[in-house]
Amino acid sequence: MYKYIIRRILVFIPMLIMLSIIVFALAKAAPGDPFTGKILDPEVDPAVFEQQREALGLNDPLPVQYVNWASKIATGNFGESMYYKGRSVQSLIKERIVNTLYLGLFALAITLIVAIPIGIYSARNPYSILDYSATTFGFLGLAIPNFFFGLIAIYFLAIKLGWFPAQGTITSTDVSGWTEVWDRVHHMVLPGITLGLAGTATYMRYMRSEVLDVLGSDYIRTAKAKGMSERNVLYKHTLRNAIIPIITLMGFEFGALLSGAIITEQVFSYPGLGTLFINSITNRDYPVIMAITLLLGVTILIGNLLADIFYSIVDPRIRYD
Amino acid sequence: MFKQKYSLVLLALLLLFGIVLAACSSDNEDAEEDPGTQEEEEETEGTEEEEDEEEKTEGPQVGGTITGAMYSAPAGMFNPIFYEEAYEANILSFTHESLVGQNESLEFIPGLAKEWETNDDQTELTLYLEEGVKWHDGEEFTAHDVVFTYKSIADPDYVAAGGIRTSYVTPLLGYEEFNSGETDEFQGVVAEDDYTVTFKFAEPNINPLYYASFTIIPEHVFADIPVADMPEAPESRDAGAVIGTGPFKFTEMVEREQYVLERHDDYWQGAAYLDKIVWKVVAQSVMTGLLESGELDFIADPNGIPPADYETVEGFGNIEIIEQPDFGYQLLGFKHNHRTAEDVEAGAIEPDNWVPNEKLANPEVRQAIAYAINREGLIDGLLYGRGAIINSPIAMQFWAYDESATTNYTYDPDQAASILDDLGYVDVDGDGFREDPNGEEWVLNMDYPTGNEIRERSAPLIEQMLEEVGIEINLRQPKEMSAYVEDLTNDNSDWDLYLLGWNLGSADPDPLGLWGIKDAYNFSRWNNPESDELLNNALKAPEAFEQEYRQEVYAEWQALFSEDLPALLLYAQNSLWAYNNRLHGIEPLPYSMYDNPHLWWVDDAE
Repeated sequence: MYKYIIRRILVFIPMLIMLSIIVFALAKAAPGDPFTGKILDPEVDPAVFEQQREALGLNDPLPVQYVNWASKIATGNFGESMYYKGRSVQSLIKERIVNTLYLGLFALAITLIVAIPIGIYSARNPYSILDYSATTFGFLGLAIPNFFFGLIAIYFLAIKLGWFPAQGTITSTDVSGWTEVWDRVHHMVLPGITLGLAGTATYMRYMRSEVLDVLGSDYIRTAKAKGMSERNVLYKHTLRNAIIPIITLMGFEFGALLSGAIITEQVFSYPGLGTLFINSITNRDYPVIMAITLLLGVTILIGNLLADIFYSIVDPRIRYD
Repeated sequence: MFKQKYSLVLLALLLLFGIVLAACSSDNEDAEEDPGTQEEEEETEGTEEEEDEEEKTEGPQVGGTITGAMYSAPAGMFNPIFYEEAYEANILSFTHESLVGQNESLEFIPGLAKEWETNDDQTELTLYLEEGVKWHDGEEFTAHDVVFTYKSIADPDYVAAGGIRTSYVTPLLGYEEFNSGETDEFQGVVAEDDYTVTFKFAEPNINPLYYASFTIIPEHVFADIPVADMPEAPESRDAGAVIGTGPFKFTEMVEREQYVLERHDDYWQGAAYLDKIVWKVVAQSVMTGLLESGELDFIADPNGIPPADYETVEGFGNIEIIEQPDFGYQLLGFKHNHRTAEDVEAGAIEPDNWVPNEKLANPEVRQAIAYAINREGLIDGLLYGRGAIINSPIAMQFWAYDESATTNYTYDPDQAASILDDLGYVDVDGDGFREDPNGEEWVLNMDYPTGNEIRERSAPLIEQMLEEVGIEINLRQPKEMSAYVEDLTNDNSDWDLYLLGWNLGSADPDPLGLWGIKDAYNFSRWNNPESDELLNNALKAPEAFEQEYRQEVYAEWQALFSEDLPALLLYAQNSLWAYNNRLHGIEPLPYSMYDNPHLWWVDDAE
């Protein structure tokens, strides 16, 4: 098992190098650079931008630029942002990643809390009223675009009813301690639900069909024939088998936890990694783009690895060596 | 074993669920309070207004917090010599000040400098500074701060460190020598004593006060920080460490979300009435709702409220709207020339090498296109009437803007058609579109950028208007701004028509920089020597010391511009700024809402 994990981690390295080359090439292939996108200002001499390009090394040949960047990464230095002047890429990411992680985990928690019980219930009572309404809700949840649901939620729950704050992560700067934690959670509710909506629908559908599937299988019939209680059948046999695809799904979504909130973050002016990523792409902020891509790459790889490891825990038939 | 693990997970989930539920319950409490107070407000609205009146006569109250909104977060650079975007400017205009400001007729007025004089040939400008001005940290402001500010901008490392404001120092005496590192002495700005500073120009300068209008930074704070390291210094970016002389101190921030300004008690013009100004970053889509609910008190630059929302916001009843023309314009550019591939490669702007764009070479063709475009219609349809037709590329607030000198291309498709008919642009092959006088196919390529929704929507409308008079337009996919500007700059391509917008400064109407032949921003590659001559004449000392003289020359130039049409100016959008009527004392200037914020006050201060 440990050998397997180490082997998998070693394979990450060439994959990440390939990833960084591809992303670097794509980012550079896009027309424009950090200075062409600046709001055109007649009071600024374009020659100034030319000087800054030179200073940042943007006029060097591409392979040179890549090697310069990569050799810095090797020493753990992600460089400085070209757009946020004088900011290191690390500090930018560090500042945002916390917000995004909290939001992502919060959304995931809501998703699982809502989706799994409803999914199980639907499977055990198929074609019941709750099953039908859950199905309808599921399709609606999948069909409603995030930004639209977000806006509706803001309009009714934040502006009209005033239950939740509409924007940002915190009410004001003077709160601290538990009030602050509290305030932050309060701010996360609407974006969390919005972000979790599509996921809830997906997980619910998965859960329902998996449980239905397993319930119809031979070993469940055998277990029931043995006289095992309904409860035991459900928890000992059904769920354990039905949960496997959910774990796969979560493994894949691990990366999405970091990157998936782009639109939601925009609507709620929630300063996270997603908005930073979008901004750096429009501003051609190469060092930030590269760093975030690598980060996402690593999380997705780790997510998949974790999923594989969990498999072997839930399903003893799966063994790695 | 699995069961145990599973129950652990369940327990964890339950806990989370509990937190969520708890969150909901206390929100309910909030909610119960909120609608209640709202109702009360509604009920007492009538009497409140009366009270308002009374309070107004009582005069300003001390205290209170107001909240302003912007749609994008500042990049985080709060050093006036390094910031670039309007979002930072929003904050800096409360915290920092300049030697001189501008009044409502755009004349320079005293700021940190109480008076000034120039020598006869306008090569020297001496300013006498206010005494007793305190920086936020209690140090005194002196002429040495002024010298330090300009020295930093002229520093050899300034541009490489990311600075872009060199236009304020290039005309100063000794800039080249200082900037190239030949000497450590900068002759351009000299402190005569603690409260007298002299700007020296290499050549007679027609608008010396413009160069003295840059925001001043404190020497005592930055003295030990080399210019190259200034952008990353906490003094340039951290709340509490950023020091200015303005009526408010930048004290706290939640990055990308909230920026808190607090009253500077030692402000030299008297402490502000307001305790705090909080800037919040909000999404444009929810801004109007937050204005209505009173969560936001004002919204101004850079976007204000969208024209489409004007009536909604006006209908709220609690919001005042300031509407005035913006400093800028949108244009439909005509590519007069293209550069050669070699010149683009070398980055050279050599008018002699330019290749004329035959498709648009005839000025009458450009005029016909101008007549074919319903600019009034664009303003009514896209801007909901919140804009104005502008006929020359000088902001219309300036004394230099002269509409009488220009041709007003009022919408007249018949005239457009007859001009084209007379020139021989007729449809010979019966496809519904005109061919050129030689009978060859005549298709104009049109490009436009994304980023400004109104401009994006105008592109297909313009295509349609032109096709109605028989001009075949190939409207291409819009490009994102970075890519678009690169293509505009590297213009050895097949571009004919392009859309673009410019924001202008309020200091001087001089159109050089955008419309001079060799200007990089002259994207039309307009090559009319007469234009350059006029533009240079308008700046020639000593004649140009007289505003009347410049006015005449600019009138002549505007006539030339509107006849030769390097671009058709489509419209100048009105800026729409809004504020809650509990806020008083706002006296907007043509270019900013933030004039004398220390005199702002709210009528419900506690």
